[in-house]
Amino acid sequence: MRELVDELRERLAAARQGGSEAARTKHTDRGKLLVRDRVDRLLDPGSPFLELSPLAADGMYGAPGQSPVPSAGVVTGIGRVHGRDVVVVANDATVKGGTYYPMTVKKHLRAQQVASDNHLPCVYLVDSGGAFLPMQDDVFPDREHFGRIFFNQANLSARGIPQVASVMGSCTAGGAYVPAMSDETVIVKEQGTIFLGGPPLVKAATGEVVTAEELGGGDVHARRSGVVDHLADDDAHALSIVRGIVDTLPRPAAAPWEVREPEEPALDPATLYDVVPADTRTPYDVREVIRRLVDGSRFQEFKALYAETLVCGFAHVWGHPVGIVANNGILFSESARKGAHFVELCNQRGIPLVFLQNITGFMVGKEYENAGIARDGAKLVTAVACSVVPKLTVVIGGSFGAGNYGMCGRAYDPRFLWMWPNARISVMGGEQAASVLATVAGRPDDEDFKAPIREQYETQGSPYYATARLWDDGVIDPVDTRRVLGMGLEAASHAPVPQPSYGIFRM
Amino acid sequence: MSLQMQTLLVANRGEIALRIMRTAARLGVRTVAVHTDLDADAPHVRAADHAVRVPSYLDVDAVVAAAIETEADAVHPGYGFLSERSAFAAALEAAGVTLVGPSAAVMEQMGRKDLARDVAVAAGVPVVPTGAEADYPVLVKAAAGGGGKGMRVVRSEAEMAEATAAAQREAASAFGDDTMLVEKYVESGRHVEVQVMGDVHGTVLHLGERDCSTQRRHQKVLEEAPAPTLDEATRARVRQAAVDLAAHVGYTGAGTVEFLLDNATGEFYFLEMNTRLQVEHPVTELVTGLDLVELQLRVAAGEPLPLAQDDVVLTGHAIEARVYAEDSFGGFLPQAGRATTVVWPTGPGVRVDQALESGQTVSTAYDPMLGKVVAHGPDREAARRTLVAALDRTAVLGLTTNAGFLRVLAASEEFRDATIDTAWLDHHEVPAPDAGPARRAAARALHDAQRERRGPFASDGFRLGGPPAPVVVDLDERVVLDGPTPVPAAALVTPGRVEVALEGQRFVFEPADARAPSAAVGDGTLLAPMPGTVLDVRVAAGEAVAEGQVLGTMEAMKMELSLTAPFAGTVTDVGAAAGAQVPLGAPLFVVEADAAGDA
Repeated sequence: MRELVDELRERLAAARQGGSEAARTKHTDRGKLLVRDRVDRLLDPGSPFLELSPLAADGMYGAPGQSPVPSAGVVTGIGRVHGRDVVVVANDATVKGGTYYPMTVKKHLRAQQVASDNHLPCVYLVDSGGAFLPMQDDVFPDREHFGRIFFNQANLSARGIPQVASVMGSCTAGGAYVPAMSDETVIVKEQGTIFLGGPPLVKAATGEVVTAEELGGGDVHARRSGVVDHLADDDAHALSIVRGIVDTLPRPAAAPWEVREPEEPALDPATLYDVVPADTRTPYDVREVIRRLVDGSRFQEFKALYAETLVCGFAHVWGHPVGIVANNGILFSESARKGAHFVELCNQRGIPLVFLQNITGFMVGKEYENAGIARDGAKLVTAVACSVVPKLTVVIGGSFGAGNYGMCGRAYDPRFLWMWPNARISVMGGEQAASVLATVAGRPDDEDFKAPIREQYETQGSPYYATARLWDDGVIDPVDTRRVLGMGLEAASHAPVPQPSYGIFRM
Repeated sequence: MSLQMQTLLVANRGEIALRIMRTAARLGVRTVAVHTDLDADAPHVRAADHAVRVPSYLDVDAVVAAAIETEADAVHPGYGFLSERSAFAAALEAAGVTLVGPSAAVMEQMGRKDLARDVAVAAGVPVVPTGAEADYPVLVKAAAGGGGKGMRVVRSEAEMAEATAAAQREAASAFGDDTMLVEKYVESGRHVEVQVMGDVHGTVLHLGERDCSTQRRHQKVLEEAPAPTLDEATRARVRQAAVDLAAHVGYTGAGTVEFLLDNATGEFYFLEMNTRLQVEHPVTELVTGLDLVELQLRVAAGEPLPLAQDDVVLTGHAIEARVYAEDSFGGFLPQAGRATTVVWPTGPGVRVDQALESGQTVSTAYDPMLGKVVAHGPDREAARRTLVAALDRTAVLGLTTNAGFLRVLAASEEFRDATIDTAWLDHHEVPAPDAGPARRAAARALHDAQRERRGPFASDGFRLGGPPAPVVVDLDERVVLDGPTPVPAAALVTPGRVEVALEGQRFVFEPADARAPSAAVGDGTLLAPMPGTVLDVRVAAGEAVAEGQVLGTMEAMKMELSLTAPFAGTVTDVGAAAGAQVPLGAPLFVVEADAAGDA
């Protein structure tokens, strides 16, 4: 496990570098701050930053093994500004000029989703050339493409979720709408530009020759066009103004649940490395994990004697009450019913749910199918799908098949979903898939047929393959799980919890 | 022995009023405070048993009436105000109220420098050569003066007329008497003064001497007892001269005979006699173990002094530092405002006489001295170190004081080696303390005030799977909070402002978040450098002025200040009117540079 964590740290360190050294030097030589420095200065001194999907686009858009678009060219996450939790979306202009690749769009939209789910103000630090033109068909036209960013801005603003932008570089074409659609906007003079069509386009369209500064520089927009509200001297000044704006926002409502004084776990989370085997096939007691995550290592188990392959119970994480649903083996009918009951309890009581996912799937076979395991699985899926309390999912091992659904996979709208570096995710295991496909193809013993299938599942089941594609909010060091869950719960506590209601439970 | 005194009126304010009341209360004497409207809520009013409002602390009739009305047996005048006004002494005598001090006649005789000198000559005490006997450089000073007002050093005949006129102006306004004296000016001298105490039974004792050579423009800054540089023979001669002088005039009560010790010749000359309790009396009290106010009250009650000269034993060394509301590193300008946080030092060997508490407003209407930090130790070096440590723990926030200046001075090699003469501060720049450590302390204070202490969002710079982000606090400079940080004596974080007191000095920082757009006032705008009164407006709008030309003068804290044109140009606006009270920073004149000029 420690080796897996070392690999994670190396990948994260590489992604944090951003663009090439040449691109970074060029950026800083213009007096601009690097994107993570901008985030650090925006946030309160010492504020933690819950970065979302820092390994987005990892291994994509380049030769095998290359990651030419680290972090998908945009840094997103949750941090504190004047004591208030905000979602930050900051373009990295050292990565392909901050242009939007498909994963950039997906990551930007995911950040807005986090803001929407948790009622967090959005701060956009804009420095982007707009859509990555060679991939325009995967960036521009569809429902969840570039246009959705502005749709979201309008609707977030409509719901009273503040939208604040600081233009710290280019903001061209569609990108111009990020500041324009914001509630309050800052621009850095002689650095930020906003225009629908840049000087080359203007010349092509009308023959007019104009500089970028004349066309849409800070002075123009602050004094004449009214597109921005504040003119800053430099990056640091702009961030200071943004901080001032956030300070004027109304305080968030109190948490919808009672938050206690936090308490450290009695068992050191660092010992997680010793209790969790790196191979997902090696069984262990998931309670060992739970005791290392929860306040005082106290866990009040529900139905401890019944359906022992699914552990359910109540605890506190950083003072927040949680209902934990954790796999401790394969899901049987009674496990699914127990889980559905417990999820209903948490919804009834307004207690957030934490899913610790380590599931190879529901039990298969005649006995189980005939007894209606699909019917019981549907109960759990219904309960989880219709759940109204915040759900936070951590994939701590395998995530296979329908178990992913019942245990609140990405499709079930958990507020956050993180993976451990030992996690595996796919519709079924590589070995099973290879066997199934070989059988269907009539070549059940053909190793040459099965090997590439196993290899495909091996590659695509990797947490890095998953996180690159935004199937999660990040791969985390198991030792950070408690901290990350705490930050997620804190963020989740800003949105109200509605009354629960469910679809038909198949009895 | 119980004191034959029922009620004592204290005709003063501030730390000295409190100090007198402390002894009175200990001796079972009821106290009466007088106060002006401005001081209605002052500490000395609250400390007294009764309080009487007076229009002014200088109003002789009102103070005498207050004494009669409250059936006070005696009046203690403290220092300053009416303490050396023979008219006041006479009025009390007429009203049958005892003045804690000498008779009006003695006060009159010793209070005037010309008369005092004659007494000294008659008593066989060496005096400074005067008038025609004195070679240049000479000192021109007010006959009725004191406290450095109405004094000028003149080095040649050419300067004489102008200097005399200026001194006379100050003297006339300060003392209502512009009689001038001329005397030999000692280039390098030490100020040595002897504390004497006389009773009505003819006994005159000395309580040792003090050295007050650390002065700035004749204002004492650091004072100590005993004098560190005297050889024993000179020490004995100086003390005897003081006793002879006091005995000669039949002096009663506490008095101080001041001498100038010429470093070149080792000769000492009588300067003047102060017929009152001195500001610096605590150093004498600490080394003698005596309560000078108690002795004053006993003498005033007619008792004989309860000790003989041989009973006066000096133990160790004491040093006093006067804390003033002034910006020592900003031209020594007087400061006023609300003292938001006040911390005075405590501990073994430390005595603080003060009347300033948190929340109190310091006005420019009265003496800017806020208190005195006094250290006592077995020897001079021990006392000095104790004083430095005490000043480190002294904090006044809200307005700037000289405590940081005192600390630098007390810690200096020159003071340690007792080489500071009376002119040293007038010729040496005391280095301002480095703002670096204070900035770190301020950054820490700001962070401590704002940081999240616990919970998942605790301000530890947490980053996913990587090293934590450094904690950086943005003041006027960016401060990375790593490693040790100095602990300030006080820190105050208010919106847009962080104040800390470190090594006595107050530092004010503005967090970057509070940074305002740059001020609109240009270079040609002259702002009132201190709150005060405009004395004179010499130009009108539209008038052409030369660089350095005096546009007007203002007065604050009894100091005159000239406002001069920063460059040649035209006066475009005059915001000052003679006689007007102006706050700090009020725009008084605006000068626009000549259009022809390329500046």
